[in-house]
Amino acid sequence: MLIWALIVVVGAINFAARLSFIVLFARREMPPLLARALRHVPAAMLTAIVVPAIVFAAPGELALNAGNVKLIAALVAGFVAWRWRNTLLTIAVGMGALWLLQRFVG
Amino acid sequence: MRTHFSRSAFIEGARDMLPMTVGLIPFGIVCGVGAIAAGASPVAALAMSMIVFSGAAQIIAAQLLAAGAPFAVIVLSCFVISLRFLMYSAALAPYLKPVDHRWRNLVAFLLTDQAFASSIRRFRESSDIRANVSYFVGGGSVLWLAWQIATIAGILAGAVIPASWQLEFVVPLCFLALLAPLLHDRTALIVFAIAAVAAIALNSMPMRLSMICAGLAGIVAGVVADRVLGRGTTTEVEPGN
Repeated sequence: MLIWALIVVVGAINFAARLSFIVLFARREMPPLLARALRHVPAAMLTAIVVPAIVFAAPGELALNAGNVKLIAALVAGFVAWRWRNTLLTIAVGMGALWLLQRFVG
Repeated sequence: MRTHFSRSAFIEGARDMLPMTVGLIPFGIVCGVGAIAAGASPVAALAMSMIVFSGAAQIIAAQLLAAGAPFAVIVLSCFVISLRFLMYSAALAPYLKPVDHRWRNLVAFLLTDQAFASSIRRFRESSDIRANVSYFVGGGSVLWLAWQIATIAGILAGAVIPASWQLEFVVPLCFLALLAPLLHDRTALIVFAIAAVAAIALNSMPMRLSMICAGLAGIVAGVVADRVLGRGTTTEVEPGN
């Protein structure tokens, strides 16, 4: 039941955000400060999602060292993403690195 | 309706989008797997992909749900992630003024990072609004369809994939693929650094609030950095995730 409520509410929020300036505020200009702030949303939110997923070896256990296979795999994948801008290649290299590192290190 | 539709542009948009769907498939699969892991029924998992149609929001909702975060926190997290659509919506809006309501609703529903990225240049450079909208809807429809197929694959595969494959690591990798190319100037690096430090420092916050707070810290840092570095006057929009 909770999941259905979530689908409806999150779906409505996403649709409203997409409709916002195309339909809902079609006659208005975006305030400049909001426009500037929104430009940073992708980098900020992606970082907030990605970093905790790779720097903690276990919940609450920060591991910023070479023994953290997820961190090393993510650094390799991050370089691939930055250099080639290819999602599939990034995933393939990242997963490959994780599996290899786990076999030899972990 | 017909006055806004060009079949050839629709097909062109659909064809141009096909290569992009390849990168989306693993993400869609993980969304299907994640929804099932969070306790959703297969029907609910698919409905989520059909209605929400946003990988970032879906995967965060699934992860927070699985972690037992309160409803309000899940909704708030998804809200912050969806803010980027305001940016895309504002960038497309001027070109869509002559288009009738039903088509504008359809464009909005199909508005994603990929659809925006692949069509914004065309909207800017061509004045054939009928062809542009058809092109967008063609590409958006292909994405939507590919997303459902990938989700179904994830729903079916979730039970079969062994845990030792660590499939959940695909999630940060997908986001990393979108994040890394964004880090091309000093402001973006500052946003990254502040959000990263905040995400680590705030990790023990209750109810998984650290993600929203770290994201907001990064956004504020970006606005401040714009001001200090003397930028921020451009309103050029770049596709995020």
